[in-house]
Amino acid sequence: MNRRAFLNWGTAGLVALCAGVGVSLGAVLRFLVPSVFYEPPQSLKIGNPADFPFGAPTFLADEKIYVFRDRDKGFAVASAVCTHLGCTVGYLQSDQRFHCPCHGSVFGANGAVQHGPAPRALNWFEVTLTRDGQLRVDKDKVVPSNYRLMV
Amino acid sequence: MMNLIREFWQSIVRRDPLSTDKGKSELVFFNVWLHVHPAKVKKQNLRFKHTFYLGFITFFLFVILLTTGIALMCYYRPYPPQAYQDMKDLQFVVFMGPFLRAMHRWAAHGMVICVFLHMCRVFYTGSYKKPRQFNWVIGVFLLLLTLSLSFTGYLLPWDQLAYWAITVGTNIGSYAPIVGGQLRELLLGGHSVGEAALLRFYVLHVAVLPTLIILLTIVHFWRVRKDGGLSRPVWKLKPSKTETLVTIGSPLEIAPLKTGPASKDKTYGLMEVVTGKPIFETVTPEEEEDAVFSYPYAFFREAIALMVTVTGIMAISLFFHAPLEELANPAKTPNPAKAPWYFLGLQELVSHSALLGGVVAPALMVIVLLAIPYYDRNSSRRPSDRKWALWLFSIFVVANLILIVVGTFFRGPGWALIPPWVHVVAGAE
Amino acid sequence: MRSRLPQIFFALSTLALALIVAAVWQASTPSWKTCQRNFLQLEAQGEPSAVTKAAVLATPPEIHQVMLTGLQRVDRCTTCHLGVDDPTMKNAPEPFRYHAGLGPHIPSRFGCTICHGGQGLATEKDAAHGKVDFWQTPLLTRDYIRASCGRCHKEGDVPGVPELTEGRHLFETQGCRGCHKLNGVGGSIGPDLTEEGANRRSPEWLEHHFLAPNAVSAGSPMPNFHFTTEQARALTYYMLSLTNEEMGTYYSSVRLIPSPEYGRQLFVEKNCIVCHAIGGIGAKSGPDLLGVTKQHSPEWLDEQLVNPDLVYPGSSMPEYDLETNARKALVAFMASATAQDAQEILSGRGHALTPEDAAIEAGKRDFARFGCAGCHGTELQGGLPNPNAQGGEVPSLLHVSDDYTKDEIIAVIRNGRAPPLDKASGPTPPLYMPSWKSLLSEEDIHQIVDFLWSKQQKSKESW
Repeated sequence: MNRRAFLNWGTAGLVALCAGVGVSLGAVLRFLVPSVFYEPPQSLKIGNPADFPFGAPTFLADEKIYVFRDRDKGFAVASAVCTHLGCTVGYLQSDQRFHCPCHGSVFGANGAVQHGPAPRALNWFEVTLTRDGQLRVDKDKVVPSNYRLMV
Repeated sequence: MMNLIREFWQSIVRRDPLSTDKGKSELVFFNVWLHVHPAKVKKQNLRFKHTFYLGFITFFLFVILLTTGIALMCYYRPYPPQAYQDMKDLQFVVFMGPFLRAMHRWAAHGMVICVFLHMCRVFYTGSYKKPRQFNWVIGVFLLLLTLSLSFTGYLLPWDQLAYWAITVGTNIGSYAPIVGGQLRELLLGGHSVGEAALLRFYVLHVAVLPTLIILLTIVHFWRVRKDGGLSRPVWKLKPSKTETLVTIGSPLEIAPLKTGPASKDKTYGLMEVVTGKPIFETVTPEEEEDAVFSYPYAFFREAIALMVTVTGIMAISLFFHAPLEELANPAKTPNPAKAPWYFLGLQELVSHSALLGGVVAPALMVIVLLAIPYYDRNSSRRPSDRKWALWLFSIFVVANLILIVVGTFFRGPGWALIPPWVHVVAGAE
Repeated sequence: MRSRLPQIFFALSTLALALIVAAVWQASTPSWKTCQRNFLQLEAQGEPSAVTKAAVLATPPEIHQVMLTGLQRVDRCTTCHLGVDDPTMKNAPEPFRYHAGLGPHIPSRFGCTICHGGQGLATEKDAAHGKVDFWQTPLLTRDYIRASCGRCHKEGDVPGVPELTEGRHLFETQGCRGCHKLNGVGGSIGPDLTEEGANRRSPEWLEHHFLAPNAVSAGSPMPNFHFTTEQARALTYYMLSLTNEEMGTYYSSVRLIPSPEYGRQLFVEKNCIVCHAIGGIGAKSGPDLLGVTKQHSPEWLDEQLVNPDLVYPGSSMPEYDLETNARKALVAFMASATAQDAQEILSGRGHALTPEDAAIEAGKRDFARFGCAGCHGTELQGGLPNPNAQGGEVPSLLHVSDDYTKDEIIAVIRNGRAPPLDKASGPTPPLYMPSWKSLLSEEDIHQIVDFLWSKQQKSKESW
């Protein structure tokens, strides 16, 4: 076989090989992304609307969310994770604000940063009503702070 | 700007272009990963029908095992019962989980087979003779390490097959005199296979044994190079005019070399690589002329061997998934309980006599294997001069195969001799 | 060959590329994704507007799982069974149909496999339904699903599953414990049944076994009790519920609340008054129980109920296989029990307490516990075939007082009646009355004989 033919076949083979390696690398990357998480799920049912009182929000520790229920406007779910470095914020009914114990960030009733090193407002999550009458919170869907679910 | 790029490139790749002979030599000589190769190989070293590239194939299988093994480690916890749950996750949930697990398992079986075939090839071509004796010894240890890696990995799925195969295997080992029982307890971290055993086997399988096998492989490859490169059928080559084709290696004979005309002492100068003078083995003048650059000839064949290995394992893995039985149950022994297939010959022997079959026979086998290069005084590698050796070794190989076949197919419940074509009615539980 | 190497290399590279692409394709197209797509089509049909339809159809496929640490399992059934909690899917085709009637047993709390069986970790249909090799708990058929209620509901009557109560009752009264251990109490002739539900025998096998033990288990010494099909099913339900699994307190707390009322009920059921008194009213064999909770800790009393012999070696108090909450209930009852309670219980018995009652009660308990009922019948009627016995049948014990003295029967129980081996007929090992002296103390044997004598019927021709 002459040199040109060798190079042609060889190059073609090398191209196929590189393509194979590329696909393999992509596959390895996808392999490393978990398909299931052994954690509390991001989207879950939190109970019947009737279970949640008006006024002071209900804190769900495992899910790290505050469930607000307003007589006029309905349900809203706020994240309890401080946007600074991830500590769990506490809600004080007395001044109706969120306080973070780690570095002193303070968030207003709508989640906006009023004080402290936090860079962003607290997230509000989408809450919907499922077909069997339960509230479903989806922590993968962030909504504006004026989002409400009227039940 | 282009200058900067060129300078950056040339700071990494410092050789001449590959179109030049010098560049081809420098590719091998200057590259840490490739420089175990000579810059030029004899065409004879590349003969497929002599080595079947089995050594390479074994090594590539090991590389497949390393990569797939590390990938699998991301999803495996070595604690019962999470271990079994993780196997199920790999089977049902992880992207390409079944495929990677299958690649790992079939490459493992393949490596045990190829290591054995490679050993047979080395024997049949007489490539263990002077000066390569000690490399054979290292090879035997590599065989034992391969079997150990396969054995430790066998336990990790923590299913019935794994649990009882390792119970049987470690019990066979406990028949070794004096230290057998203690060695077994050391291995198991307890009196029976349990959590401690799984963790220890895992540590052995992913850390200790791979390190040892890599270290020994490095020595093995290095020695092949220093011994004069891959084996070739020296008895077929035309004899050199100045001397016989017996390899020289003893320290007393190193200098001066009695090679053909115009011999030069080898130095590690680039010039020497280009003219290709070996240290330990004599080479015929025809071979000298027939030397070709490693790049591309040797590397090309290696690449093909790699491709054959990888595509072969991938094809098998696409169609045959690795088995998984029920969760390990210490209270329920399957009947029969069999060791992994490469130990079934041993289990067959043990079923006749624990001491003779389990301790004496395998110990003798290993000792005989190790001693082969030293008591084989026949310095010829030509097959017609070695009839006894070839016959004896063949009997050894066939005997092993028969034992494994009997253990696999002809032993049923209670270790009774039941041919595989007889249908065994399962008894009421 | 040598000259063709570049082409070979090209062919192999292309083959390798094809194989890796095939592997990626195989991994990217699992059957559950198709299932989810079909479900989304169904859901989209119910959506009012094109926008919401598109939003539904664009939902990315993902594996759904319920992690149940309290039940030590992970269920992925809802990956395909997506309509299980959606009432609008009442009439959808399977696997999307709504699961009605769950009450508190919602999938997010209970998963699916705890009731239905199957392999929760799997995401392929046959594997998930357990209909593959090496998975011994396939889906239960409709006939047997309710048996799973007994895995948590271990005490009292289970609403909607009368078979469990019946099965439990049959087990205790038919003398099963004579041959089979359950939770450590019972004989060793047959297999231990503590984990029979987890032993992965099919419900059909269990039911056939109750109806005809020898047909299913060749050579088994288990006699045929001639159960009706309903009784066999009840016993099968009970067996299926015996999984002996660890459960988080959320699930195990479903057992009856340990109230003093429940404790009193148990006190009467187990006939404790036959050996014990409360405040002087009752029998004198065992200690008076008034104020016993002030003298001993709850743990001590619990241990006494589990293992009387451990606390008082040589005690003639039998082992009762009581659940945790049942024991707590008994202790709760004893905390508040008075002599008044004892009086009421005594009057409720119908006939006066005699000194022999303790012995007879103990004898009755031993009779059931050691398997005598298995051969001689719970009503002592005998009648099971035994080729080595006189008349070819296991004798009835209702008339032994006619032909034997108490001492003679005591001797028979103590020494047994093993036939001479060369004359033994029937199955091997041959059937015969075993010798009980190594298992029963002299006192036990006396008590059994007292029990037998209390059951004697006067035959017409007695002299």
